[in-house]
Amino acid sequence: MSPPWHPKPFFNGLQPMTFSDREILETVRMVELETLDIRTTTLGISLFDCADPDLESTCEKVYAKILHHASNLVEVAESISSDYGIPIVNKRIAVTPISWVAAASGARDLTPLARALDAAAREVGVDFIGGFSAYVQKGFTHADRAVFDSIPSALAATERVCASVSLGSTQAGINMDAVAQFSDAILEAARLTADRGGLACAKLVCFCNAVQDNPFVAGAHIGVGEPETVLSVGVSGPGVVRSALERLDPDADLLSVAETVKRTAFKVTRMGELVGREAAKRLGTRFGIVDVSLAPTPAIGDSVGAILELIGVERTGGPGTTAALALLTDAVKKGGAMASSCVGGLSGAFIPVSEDQGMIDAVAEGALSLAKLEAMTSVCSVGLDMIAVPGDTSAATLTGLIADEMAIGMMNHKTTAVRVIPVPGKGPGETVEWGGLLGTAIVQDPGRFGCSGLHARAGRIPAPALGYRN
Amino acid sequence: MTRRFLTSEDVRREQSGEIVVDETTLVTPQALETAREAGVRIRTASGEWSEPEPDRGPDAERAMHALPHLPEPEDNPSLSSSAIVTAVGKNRGGVLAEITAAIAGIGGNVHDVSQKVVEGYFHMILTVELPPEGSFDQLKSCLECLGNPDDFAVRVMNERVFRFMHRV
Repeated sequence: MSPPWHPKPFFNGLQPMTFSDREILETVRMVELETLDIRTTTLGISLFDCADPDLESTCEKVYAKILHHASNLVEVAESISSDYGIPIVNKRIAVTPISWVAAASGARDLTPLARALDAAAREVGVDFIGGFSAYVQKGFTHADRAVFDSIPSALAATERVCASVSLGSTQAGINMDAVAQFSDAILEAARLTADRGGLACAKLVCFCNAVQDNPFVAGAHIGVGEPETVLSVGVSGPGVVRSALERLDPDADLLSVAETVKRTAFKVTRMGELVGREAAKRLGTRFGIVDVSLAPTPAIGDSVGAILELIGVERTGGPGTTAALALLTDAVKKGGAMASSCVGGLSGAFIPVSEDQGMIDAVAEGALSLAKLEAMTSVCSVGLDMIAVPGDTSAATLTGLIADEMAIGMMNHKTTAVRVIPVPGKGPGETVEWGGLLGTAIVQDPGRFGCSGLHARAGRIPAPALGYRN
Repeated sequence: MTRRFLTSEDVRREQSGEIVVDETTLVTPQALETAREAGVRIRTASGEWSEPEPDRGPDAERAMHALPHLPEPEDNPSLSSSAIVTAVGKNRGGVLAEITAAIAGIGGNVHDVSQKVVEGYFHMILTVELPPEGSFDQLKSCLECLGNPDDFAVRVMNERVFRFMHRV
């Protein structure tokens, strides 16, 4: 008999736990009707040991190592999906930023390395591989320069490779030389894939305060401090949150709205945690993080815009949108933090315009402008995501757009990103169809005023005073 | 020296007809091909080389055992062998019998049943304990093929899903 001050055991022996009908039906409804799924299981693989003075040998090692570690990733994900009755939509790979791996080779053109990543991804059956990346918030190494120079051709020549770059941080400020070069890379990537609506740019993203354990593409990679291999999970669930809010009394106050979102996020995160742990166990690797993000898809009802409208905004982009999004992002984070000790990545609400039917409609109706989107990114979890601009947008205008977004991240200690697609041959108001998860976009007008002066100055925006926290 | 990789360049540089690698060395597919073409033998100290088990890193094993508290005990595998079966559809005679007969067929033990009929439609929830040797997969495939879209639909989910979702 244990002393009375010892905690009582949490579990009641061998009896299975009992659940109420309401709890059981709630879970079944989430999966069956509200498109709850595990958006991605991402295996992170460190490629540091693949560095070689010869680029061709580097490619060989990278290819061999990815095959070696990820050959059963898809099989494991599918077995979990069938054992637990939970759909797992995507299986992906994140690798060490390629500039660190390629540095030893001294190569100028890293397209062969992108091809090796692409071939490995195809071979193991994953849909995307992230990590054609460089960190340049303070300056370029030769290898970083090679990554920048190779991004357009690498993305045009491959199908599954995603590229990301870190252009700024609260600690380092914003590298405006890099922003300008990144703008050129975006335009060149769009030009090389003009026949596909500039599709290469959908696989290209830049960050301020980049997160090094993000399982979502296009920004997926694993940075320094991450283990040899690690399995992370990204959950989804805008459909579930929307449906929970639909059942809420329309007169309920905003505290009740936040509470409903929080409770729903808790449940969704727990499912991610279950799948992540089980996948890590079956692969024999460690469980990294669960990214609690509301990631919309073009599917009906799976929309963040629809949630904002349920909170009480007439159309996404109208007055009140930023406040509603702030409530949503924060409640999702709180629910997630209670559910798991391993919350990481971006965790919040994504607002990829072309992938969210509610947002596409809002743009079509003239409710959601680029300026309002920028304001929304100060409280969402990422940034300007999947935005189409005219194909003839100048590099200077892109620089301004990106620098604004980086500045929001830098000053607010948060991650911000830009994934913008200059659609060749299209002007404001025209529609471009990328298909699949990438959805449909209406080309948005960046306005007729430029910032060629800022673009030409180049240099660096110094770190803000709030970056010096030591 | 421990060799992490053996590449085709390493094979080409090798003058003799044999390369000795470690058990843990990863020989790239291109190196294997080059060696085969050049007639170079790749072996370990103890025999032929074969692809090693993936080494997931020095702390992978430990990380798996150092997980924080969860809504389930780690040392009681029997708890994870329950399934929750839900069925919805038009009510008619014999539905419950069909489902429970299928469960009995694979040796499952029904722990709890609840059923409601509203305006000619029923929904039914069963908690099923699987036999020690029975697999979840087997139960799932045998139940989910019962019924048809015009009749009723069955869904089987692992009990752990509900435990994770609804218990703190």
